[in-house]
Amino acid sequence: MIELKDLSYVRLGVSDLEDAESFATKGLGLQVGERTAKSLYLRSDDRAHTLCYSEGDPGDQTVGFEVDDEGKLAAASTTLDALGHPVHIGTATECSQRKVKAFIGFKDPTGNRIELVVRPERSGKRYFATRDAGITGFSHVGLFTTDPARDERFWTQVCNARVSDRIGDIALMRVNAIHHTVALAPGRGPGIHHVNHQVESNDDVLRSYYHLSGQRVPIVFGPGRHPTSGARFLYFLGPDQMVFEYSVGVDEIEDEDTHRPRQFGFEPSSLCMWGAKSVWQR
Amino acid sequence: MTLNIAATLPRSPLIQLCYVRLAVRQPQPAAAFATDVLGLQPVPDKHALLFRSDHRYHTLCLATDAATPSIGIEIADENALGRAMEALDREGFQAREATAEECARRFVRRCTIVQDATGNEIDLVLRPAQSGRRYFPSRDAGITGLQNVGLRSRALKDDLRLWTTILGAHVSDRAGDVTYLRFDQKHHRIALYPSHRPGIVYVGYGVESMDAIMQSNYFVQERQIKIVHGPGREPASGQIFLRFEGPEGYVFSYGYGLNDVGPDHHPQQFSAQPSSLCEWGSECRDVPELQFADDR
Repeated sequence: MIELKDLSYVRLGVSDLEDAESFATKGLGLQVGERTAKSLYLRSDDRAHTLCYSEGDPGDQTVGFEVDDEGKLAAASTTLDALGHPVHIGTATECSQRKVKAFIGFKDPTGNRIELVVRPERSGKRYFATRDAGITGFSHVGLFTTDPARDERFWTQVCNARVSDRIGDIALMRVNAIHHTVALAPGRGPGIHHVNHQVESNDDVLRSYYHLSGQRVPIVFGPGRHPTSGARFLYFLGPDQMVFEYSVGVDEIEDEDTHRPRQFGFEPSSLCMWGAKSVWQR
Repeated sequence: MTLNIAATLPRSPLIQLCYVRLAVRQPQPAAAFATDVLGLQPVPDKHALLFRSDHRYHTLCLATDAATPSIGIEIADENALGRAMEALDREGFQAREATAEECARRFVRRCTIVQDATGNEIDLVLRPAQSGRRYFPSRDAGITGLQNVGLRSRALKDDLRLWTTILGAHVSDRAGDVTYLRFDQKHHRIALYPSHRPGIVYVGYGVESMDAIMQSNYFVQERQIKIVHGPGREPASGQIFLRFEGPEGYVFSYGYGLNDVGPDHHPQQFSAQPSSLCEWGSECRDVPELQFADDR
């Protein structure tokens, strides 16, 4: 079994790097960790980067998960190989681009690009946000799935994810105590559904609602509250139609052994208990 | 003279905000709003449209026979009311004893009807009626009770004299000249908003959670009810609020998280900026009293 420890980063291709930087700093509020000719590394917590924008195809979207060590990485490689997922072993250049010691790349059954990384870099300097959005860190991703049941099996049987709750057939899955690290979302093809950052308080969610509205950033869902995780949320559009989320108050699954996934109906009130309506167009 | 009054009165003879009487021309739409939108419980009555929001017999009256809105405040006892009436007389405020009929319509044993310097009517009442039956709301808005009232003031200095010197309320904080007044542990029960006319800025109900505020935010939006301010958070009082338009120009407010204030609280002055009325960044465009002159 592939033991995912934590989410590490998201890598996104963007059509206009300057535009992406403006959004990431003035809108989202992340800190620029490093700029290279074609890439922008952004921090959201004590890690050296959690989001990397690279000039290129906006369809290039990759999620990185941390595994324990190189032994576990080699084992994962063997497992994936045996299941018929072609595995790419990261070169030294690619590793330095990701600020990790080693990594492998593969695709999940839907075709989402996943990387497993070892020893992602932390930064000695504390995180200092560009604006007072109250971000406490990069927390989870939504991944599109063309077959929710099949992909749930991949994440829970090939990897160590556990289902925390389901909305219809859509699984919200955790790899640690946090309610979910990966949320599946039905889609026509692979891709990242949304990128979540946690913020300090309810106040931050609502402050950002007014701040982003004032900046003409399209709000696609919220402010609202998920009945599943209990989190208060706000979803909004970034460059190239990528959706970002702020949330606060995600439940922790306290008892790993006794937690049973709850089933929520596939209806709007399962996504927002306040009554917000999604205007998401994907 | 003024100095002695404070010394002769007990700390605060004011007990609680009891009710709000709103003068309405068209009672039926207003009553429908009170139950279907606000979620209050109607109380059967021959004379007026009454509504409950908590354990009290009524906290809202929609009156067709009243010319102006008024609020009811409970006074500790006969002695306190007597002292208050003497002080009102000395200080030149208009006050009259309500008739038995007027008391019956207010569900109180005794009532003195006072005009503040602005012209707002304030009932100082004794023994307002409680209800034996628990409150059962018309919709799940999470209302915990009538919480506070915003009053327009066009004579702030004299209105403050009435509330503080004569009636013993305390200034909790100020935002610009907006003045929050308390007479129990809650940050404010009355807020005075500088204006050029008398009246009520909003009638505020406490709700049980932030969820309740946000659920009502979407509930009223779906019904095309105009939100005039919020969802927002008042930095002085800490409360999360939603203020929306009701019938005949009245504004209603839900609030959650109103701070408790200790007796040694020193009033703070917040700057005359929109962020002093909402720290989240919501702005009010329709109610001049909820804006500062520079922003209008």
